[in-house]
Order: sequence, then C-alpha cells, then structure tokens
Amino acid sequence: MVLTVKQLMEDIPLTLINEPKTISKTINKLFASDLLSHVIGYAEENDILITVLNNINVLGVASLLELSGVIFTHNPNVKPDIIKRANKLDLPLFSTPLSTAEVIKKIASLE
Amino acid sequence: MNPSLKKTPSHARIHKEFIIERNDIANAGTVASSTKRILKNEGFPSHFIKRVTIGVYEAEINVVIHSYGGKVIFDLNDDNVSLVFADKGPGIEDIELAKAAGFSTASSYAIENGFGAGMGLPNIEAVSDEMHLTSSNEGTTLSMRFDIGDDGIDS
Repeated sequence: MVLTVKQLMEDIPLTLINEPKTISKTINKLFASDLLSHVIGYAEENDILITVLNNINVLGVASLLELSGVIFTHNPNVKPDIIKRANKLDLPLFSTPLSTAEVIKKIASLE
Repeated sequence: MNPSLKKTPSHARIHKEFIIERNDIANAGTVASSTKRILKNEGFPSHFIKRVTIGVYEAEINVVIHSYGGKVIFDLNDDNVSLVFADKGPGIEDIELAKAAGFSTASSYAIENGFGAGMGLPNIEAVSDEMHLTSSNEGTTLSMRFDIGDDGIDS
C-alpha cells in the first residue's frame, strides 16, 4: 500500500504545524531516529522522519535528503524559526502527543 | 576514469571558499546548501548532488562541533568535485579510532543538537570516492573527492 503524507494525517493523531504547499507526497518508508548522522547515513529520499529532536538541524538534514516530512513526537514546543524555515523548504512538519513507538505501531497497522 | 569524459566537460570550473565558525550550529549546513545550489545550477543529477552534499554536511558539522573554526575550499574541476576542510584545532588524537563507526568524542552540546553519533566520518567515507584525513594539535584537514562520471552528468 502506498501511503501519502495526507493519508497519515487522516488516520493517526497528527497536527500539521506549518504551511507546506503540498501534503500529497508519497512516503517511501518510516525512519525513526534521534541522531542526525544516523539519519544522514541511513534515511532515504521521501522517507518520513519520526523524532523527538526539534531543532533547526533536523530541517537541514530533511532538506538534504529530500524527506517527505517530519513527525515530532511527545508534542514538543516547536520554535517559530523552525516553522518558518520548513515553510520555505516546503517540508510538512507534524506534531503528535504519541511516542515514537506508538506512531510506528499506528502507521504499521495501516499497511 | 573513462578518458572520453575528460574531453568536453559541460559544466564550469568553480572555486569557492567558506568560513565555518566554532559552535555555530544554527548555520551548520550553509556550505552544504551552497554546494547543492552550485551543482544544481551546473546541471548535475540529483543522486550525484546528494552524494556530495551529504559528505559536505557531515564535514561541516564536524568543524562546527569539534574544532575552533575553520575554512572550506570547494573546487568543481573538469572530472571531479573536491573539497578541503581545514580547521584550527584541537586535532584528532587517534584518527583510526575516529573513523570507526560509533566512536564519538562529541560534547553534550553537540548531542543535544542531534549530532555526535560517531557516524560522520564513516558516512563521508561511504559517499565519497576518496577521503583523506590528517590531524595534529594545530588542526585537522579533511579532504574529499567525488568523481564525475560514475553517476555525474558526463557519464
């Protein structure tokens, strides 16, 4: 089953916290990590990153790898400069009260 | 390298220099973004650009989180992209250990920002065609080369 970013939003409790131009990107696979070098080394184009990290470098890495989006778990307080940069990069950012493991479980149950 | 590739490179030769400040983590990625823009303008395919920018980004982060600051020399040559990252110290004590996946001496500042997994040098080695690292307490020089041809525009 091919998942899109939009479908994820409909099926699991995610809040889109920025204003990307499109949320119809397809998702290659889920990638969960809180270490950016690990993400750089192993994530692939159109993956969706699930992480507790919410600093500006996450966006640098997401843009470098052309990820489909980023899900911040445990409802973090995402700073306005991150949201602004994500809009510029046209990168969907989501916030969820769920833990990383819970997000993965929910998405896996959709497939 | 296939000799036919050297005849007529369809890109310009470009030389650039960048300064990286110590602990300037908010601007880390500037050199990678500039590199990406240059290669995009010159018409390189996205998988080649990605390979180069991953190496550049990792090296840039290393200078930001481990060194006292440094500079980067970027050269787009006829048949390769070459980058040299030269910092002002404090140097790497054991280069072979530093190259081992998972080994890290990163500060808690770096780790809080999502770095310091000990994956930087292994990642650079994986994406580049050649990586060379020398270090003393005066500073560290990391050079990397990406050959055009395997997956570049001229192939």
